[in-house]
Amino acid sequence: MQLENLGLYYWAIAPEIIVSVVGVIIMMVDAFSSRGARKLNAVIALAGLIAALVSVVMLDGLGSGSYFSGMVVIDPIRIFFSVTILLAAIVAALLASQFLKDEGLPPGEFFSLLMFATAGMLLLAGAGDLVTVFLGLEIASITSYVMAGYRRYDLRSNESSLKYFLLGSFSTAFLLYGMALTYGAAGSTNIQKITAAIASGQVNYPALLLIGAALMIVGFGFKIASAPFHLWTPDVYEGAPTIVTGFMGTGPKVAVFAAFIRVFVIGFGPQDSEIGIQLHTTWVTVLAVIAALTMTIGNVIAISQKNIKRMLAYSSIAHAGYALVGFLTGDFAPVAFYMLAYSIMSLGAFAVIQLLARAGDQRTEIADYAGIGFEAPALSFSLAIFLLSLAGIPPTAGFMSKFYVFKTAWDMTPELRWLVLVAVINSIISVYYYLYPIVVMFFRPLVPGFIKPRIAGMTMIALILTLLGTFYLGIMPNRLMNAMSRPPAVVTQITVK
Amino acid sequence: MEQIAIDIPRLLFLAFAGIAVVAAFNLILQRNPIYSALSLIVTLCVMAALFLLLNAPFIAVIQIVVYAGAIMVLFVFVIMLLNIREEESKIDRQKYLKWLAAPMFLALLAQVFAVIRYVDTTPPSIPSANAPGGNPAESLGTVESIANAMFTTYVLPFEATSVLILMAIVGSMLLAKRDSKQDIERIETALDAEQAEQEQAHLAAEKSNKEVAA
Repeated sequence: MQLENLGLYYWAIAPEIIVSVVGVIIMMVDAFSSRGARKLNAVIALAGLIAALVSVVMLDGLGSGSYFSGMVVIDPIRIFFSVTILLAAIVAALLASQFLKDEGLPPGEFFSLLMFATAGMLLLAGAGDLVTVFLGLEIASITSYVMAGYRRYDLRSNESSLKYFLLGSFSTAFLLYGMALTYGAAGSTNIQKITAAIASGQVNYPALLLIGAALMIVGFGFKIASAPFHLWTPDVYEGAPTIVTGFMGTGPKVAVFAAFIRVFVIGFGPQDSEIGIQLHTTWVTVLAVIAALTMTIGNVIAISQKNIKRMLAYSSIAHAGYALVGFLTGDFAPVAFYMLAYSIMSLGAFAVIQLLARAGDQRTEIADYAGIGFEAPALSFSLAIFLLSLAGIPPTAGFMSKFYVFKTAWDMTPELRWLVLVAVINSIISVYYYLYPIVVMFFRPLVPGFIKPRIAGMTMIALILTLLGTFYLGIMPNRLMNAMSRPPAVVTQITVK
Repeated sequence: MEQIAIDIPRLLFLAFAGIAVVAAFNLILQRNPIYSALSLIVTLCVMAALFLLLNAPFIAVIQIVVYAGAIMVLFVFVIMLLNIREEESKIDRQKYLKWLAAPMFLALLAQVFAVIRYVDTTPPSIPSANAPGGNPAESLGTVESIANAMFTTYVLPFEATSVLILMAIVGSMLLAKRDSKQDIERIETALDAEQAEQEQAHLAAEKSNKEVAA
């Protein structure tokens, strides 16, 4: 094979390269600088993430295509999901500075883990081959396991890390087995070639393909915390340091959704052959049931939670269910928009919780929030806005994203209208538990021992960014929606360069 | 003459497969973990020989270097460091697993026979990309063909794997490094607090019991 045919075009993976190199630079700076160059690390990380964001936007100019012999692709899915991932990483990096200082934790490793996690997620969002899907997912997962246990002296953090590691490895094995069977059935790991094999009906053993797809649903379903595979979520989210929870609940989930869409919606999309139709109807049915279960279980269990981090963990399960409704429309735009809106409001909520919980996450019970509404008005009002947005109250991002998903699903898939109804009923249920902390904050007597938290400059910037994002997406979503639907919404034809 | 030429690989296969099965049984029957580890090494080495018979020299070498070499050394190190002598007698709790094991084994056996019976065993056509020059079937599994694939088609995954391994190293260093004094104090206070909480709960429970009794 000639080297020219491989598509070794480094601009195509510029974001991943930038983020990884910055990760290595941070490790070096940390090793050679005096103890705790926290500010410097944060600034380098932010500069790298912003440079990566610029390079992602410039990828658009390269045009759609696949590079590195089909290992990565450039298409609208990659661009929109990568932007979301990088925004989540930027907010997490802004918040990390104060967190690391308050807790007295080593900064260098944290920022380099953050950078490499981001690199893995970007790779996952751009993966055009099952091999890169797996590698991206593993890089993102292993860094998440470590970050969940970053507060080493805290028993809850250790528990969270260990649980996440064991169950996560288990689910990765499912995913890998599914990939192996799919490879055996289709004769290739390249998603485009798999699609071509299915479309032409040249599948070695149709049963293998179905089992492979089922195992991959288990693997992906675990990573996005969807219903029968969600049991790890509350413990892991509660035990991990709050900003890690915020990052873990957004970045990896966004990236896995991107890969999930590329493998299932595009790779296993509706094809003319018999096996293609069978595969498509099967996974659509399975995922519709999973979506309904995910929403219902997440919302119903969230109602009885006393701890705000656990409550938001169940809420994140429910939101994965709503995003799956968008997933079933066969269009990536609703999911991309939903995940962007969800990431912004969820990170904002976790930022406030981090500040109110103080060092060591001591105050995370909802009862600890009693009466603080007018003691720390800025934080309380921000948290109230984020919670209302998660509940889907206009004019916030949460409302617009839900509306977009439900409307698209209602119009494009008439046979799944029952699912939209389930989703709407679920979002009404969810209003109860999102309003409860707000009621506690503003209408209960002040809890003794409340100390007004200090807000560092970078944390302030992160809060303002997330608040602005919540309102921007809620009030003026048109520009983004138009940008998403500008090219043919579902990219089926990608030329191999 | 021809008869013998055909039979030698088959004899070798039977011999190695037999050793592999015996060693695998020995692995799970031994009570002493060191003996188990040693039989695992035998199994892995014999598997390498089986790979050689299947014309896959690269995988055979990797099998010996990585599995029989590095990973087994790690196993033995851990066993020796932890000073495990005899298998601890915790079997009571898992008695029913024995009854689960037999059907599982039969299911696996049935699966193997099904594969042998139904699956098409003609060698797959090899993409010419992996075999520059020469007969593709001959170069399959050699170091050359693997290097060719690794540094052309799979160069990006190859590089991404280095990031993955780097992260695994950083992560394990971070989570397993020696605790600083400050950290040890923090862990102790956390443990103390938990103990105190449990004691308090215990006292409260006793108190309520007494009240009920009274």
